[in-house]
Amino acid sequence: MPLDTSPDTDDAAFLARYGRGDAAAARSLTVRLVPRVHAQAYRMLGDAAEAEDVAQEAMMRLWKIAPDWREGEAKVSTWLFRVVANLCTDRLRKRRGGNVPLEDVAEPADPTPSVEANMQTRARQDALRAALAELPERQRNAVAMRHFDGASNPEIAAALSISTEAVESLTARGKRALAHALKGQADALGYKG
Amino acid sequence: MTRPPDRRDDAAWLDEMLDEMAGSDVPAPAPDLMARVLADAVAQMPPPGGAPASAPLWRQIVRGLGGWSAVGGLVAAAATGFVVGLGGLETVGADALWSDTYYDSSTALDAFGWDYEEG
Repeated sequence: MPLDTSPDTDDAAFLARYGRGDAAAARSLTVRLVPRVHAQAYRMLGDAAEAEDVAQEAMMRLWKIAPDWREGEAKVSTWLFRVVANLCTDRLRKRRGGNVPLEDVAEPADPTPSVEANMQTRARQDALRAALAELPERQRNAVAMRHFDGASNPEIAAALSISTEAVESLTARGKRALAHALKGQADALGYKG
Repeated sequence: MTRPPDRRDDAAWLDEMLDEMAGSDVPAPAPDLMARVLADAVAQMPPPGGAPASAPLWRQIVRGLGGWSAVGGLVAAAATGFVVGLGGLETVGADALWSDTYYDSSTALDAFGWDYEEG
């Protein structure tokens, strides 16, 4: 699939064109947004197939909302970020299904050093994903936008419809909750908590 | 992760975990995924020119009544009725509005309003 041929056109303009039946706009949005959405889903889920399903579902929601999209109300990318975060959270909660407590996620056990290191990395990420899934939605989104998307405070504030000052507090509370949830496993995960 | 514990903040390890995940390799989306997403886009795409926007309720009501000319006629008729009603008050008096006295016009009429003259 060709690269984005109109990098200066913003997502909302493409979405408006798609809403008027412009197939080329759909192609541009797909090329531009799917890799980003897929990467976010993969980081949150750690599973390529599931990440693809989430990316497709999130994009489907975007196509459906296009005719009603009101330019200037929200950024397409931040709207999508929230959709993906919520879809991933649903999957993480279903995946755990109450059968796998957070404490049980981090148990690397392989004798080979390199494999053991990989297992431990995997265990750390699984534990972090599980802990993130337990956060309240706004805390989870603020932490994920800050750390995974590199979003600035004003960008997070706009995405979550809160003041820039509130972003700091929200992120701090989210990270405190994460630290609390993971503290008991820090040693097992290779950290000194 | 390898820094000595005494040089670390309480939750520095959490930042390291988050950074590690942020920097982890993400596989490129499969070409098949892009094709599926594009197929969804085409299937959901409104017709050229865009789907007709759903009208707000007040506009649907106006349209249902027959358009603005019909609404104008209704308003004129309502206003006329109101003025005629006010004129009627001059005959019976404004007190009739809140009077509980029943006005029985039948006393002035006989045999459904017609006086029969026999013979």
